[in-house]
Amino acid sequence: MKQFGTIFNFELKYYLKNKVFIGVTVFLVLLIAGVMFFPRVWAFFQSEEEAPTTPADGAVILLKADSAEKAETAAALFSAAFPEYNVQSTEDALDAIQNAVVTGEAECAFVLTSDTSYTYYVNNLSLYDMNTAVADEVLQQLYRMNAMTEAGMTMEEAGEILAVQIESQTESLGVNQAQNYWYTYIMIFALYMVILLYGQMVATNVASEKSSRAMEVLITSARPVSMMFGKVIASCLAGLLQLVAVFGSAFLFFRLNRDFWGDNIIINSIFDMPLSLLLFMLTFFVLGFFLYAFLFGAIGSTASKLEDINTSVMPVTMLFIISFIVVMVSMASGSVDTVLMKACSFIPFTSPMAMFTRIAMSTVPWHEIALSIGILIGSVFGVGVLSAKIYRVGVLLYGTTPKIGAILKAVRNA
Amino acid sequence: MVLELRSIEKSFGEKRVLTGVSFRAEGGKAFGLLGRNGAGKTTSIRILMGVFPADGGEVLIDGKPIDYKKIQIGYLPEERGLYPKKIILDQLTYFARLKGMEKKEAVKAIDFWLERLEMTEYRNKRLDTLSKGNQQKIQLITALAHDPDIVILDEPFSGLDPVNAMLLKDVVKEEIARGKIVLFSSHQMSYIEEFCDSIAILNAGKVALHGDLHEIKRNYVRDRLVVRTEFSAPILADFGTACTKLENGSLLIQLGNAGEKKEVMKRLVERYELDEVKVFEPSLNDIFVEYAGDSAEEDKK
Repeated sequence: MKQFGTIFNFELKYYLKNKVFIGVTVFLVLLIAGVMFFPRVWAFFQSEEEAPTTPADGAVILLKADSAEKAETAAALFSAAFPEYNVQSTEDALDAIQNAVVTGEAECAFVLTSDTSYTYYVNNLSLYDMNTAVADEVLQQLYRMNAMTEAGMTMEEAGEILAVQIESQTESLGVNQAQNYWYTYIMIFALYMVILLYGQMVATNVASEKSSRAMEVLITSARPVSMMFGKVIASCLAGLLQLVAVFGSAFLFFRLNRDFWGDNIIINSIFDMPLSLLLFMLTFFVLGFFLYAFLFGAIGSTASKLEDINTSVMPVTMLFIISFIVVMVSMASGSVDTVLMKACSFIPFTSPMAMFTRIAMSTVPWHEIALSIGILIGSVFGVGVLSAKIYRVGVLLYGTTPKIGAILKAVRNA
Repeated sequence: MVLELRSIEKSFGEKRVLTGVSFRAEGGKAFGLLGRNGAGKTTSIRILMGVFPADGGEVLIDGKPIDYKKIQIGYLPEERGLYPKKIILDQLTYFARLKGMEKKEAVKAIDFWLERLEMTEYRNKRLDTLSKGNQQKIQLITALAHDPDIVILDEPFSGLDPVNAMLLKDVVKEEIARGKIVLFSSHQMSYIEEFCDSIAILNAGKVALHGDLHEIKRNYVRDRLVVRTEFSAPILADFGTACTKLENGSLLIQLGNAGEKKEVMKRLVERYELDEVKVFEPSLNDIFVEYAGDSAEEDKK
């Protein structure tokens, strides 16, 4: 136990003193600060140069009706529908109207050609131009009003019928996927990045000890199980610290800038993550991390040279990437309770991501969660002890990377 | 304290590495474990240190199975290497603490050894800034800092200049004088001859020769004479095929039996102008070649 503590301290220091580790963490925090403060900075500049961005002071909409009696009602309705514009009725010829739009005298122009048709003139049609949609509605209403009054209704009656609003409310009894999607997405992605990154670091760490022959002394001084657990737990804590730094600062910066984000659905949904889900995240992160880091460590011990690491870890990396893709695809499709996902949420190598996704985006019975976590904990210990054994055999093997069968045989004999 | 390996057996897969290896090393004396590459020295050492278990046989201290919690072992591996990018004090402290020392006493012991090996100025430097010989001295500290009962030195002199080799010799002699079991493994026979009281020669996983070095030498049949002279031609002519010229210029005379020794010596002294005449005693090198030479296992390690 004392030995474990010594190894753990030594390894943790390795991460915390590592310039790349510190650099990446600081960079991520700064990046998040940049994103989170963006609306505040934006608002600051906006308030300084407010004039040109709001069209209220004079952006003109020209309106030419096809008959004089319609011009007045249409102008009134258009003014109401475009409150930020200055709607002007005109009798000018088409050329003059077009000219006014081109020169910028008017922002745009509506030329009504009948009760149910019009031409919209605008100089540069913006991607987000919604004016025709508004105009459509106005004219539709005008047409219906006219039709109703002609059929003998009073204006008031017609107005009432047209003004009817449907009220609706949605109450999600389980989980709201639309709301959970974004933070699940971010969490899964963070899980993926951290496990892959730190897993590789554990493998490299072990392999470099082996290639520098520091292993020759280490293996005679410390128990392989202490070595393995010390390394893996230290790197897990380093990974967690990094996550906490990144997400903690994100949360802090969000709090500082909450007012400026208004009701941005994505951002709000991310930071409204329930605590229980955060705890599940932590559980699956730690267990998934251990499982993969042990494997990476064992693989690192079988490589003689650092260059061999990349090819050696390929199978484990692939396994992890595949489970990531399965989860991402089912998340995107919206159905996270497929048979595949259910199966994946119990297989230890895929369950950290699959079960977490199901918990976040669907309603999973508690006994399934307990079973999944139980299997995972069991596998972590099994894989931990097995990889410590592989480690003990692997670190003393030099030369070509041995085949899996040969290692397992050696482990059984050792 | 007496360290004893008894009938150690070990195979890796199909390959038999050690067959019935037994030897005995005493405290206060140095023991030389010799053998060609691949003879099983490193495997024996690893079993002795408990890195992996033997398939059969036992490792005993004073007749009882070794308890690694009580018996401290210091090891200087043949394949040298520590953490190249880390501060020397940090890594030495780490290794000492892995051996069970508290931080304070570890730092104290390390400072003592840095001073003793004239390395104090490198205390807070990174290992890879040091020359190869100095890195070796640092590695030696990992083997000695925790004051082990058994010190295992695998090729300790390789890569050291004569001054550092002298320093190391002094350190080793001090350790022996302190009653420790010092186990040498080396191909440099002159060093083994200088330090070791007893040896074991491994050949293809078996002990080919084991015992007190002086006794081994005494037990050789004393039927050869070494003659040092400046006028070798008449002697060569006199003794014919029984006399051969050695590389260093001396003559080696093979006698019919050991009993002729006195008579032939007398004859030589009377007839010829000699600088020296003595009974031939085999060097450790000769013994090694004789016992370890006929193995074809050179390339297997």
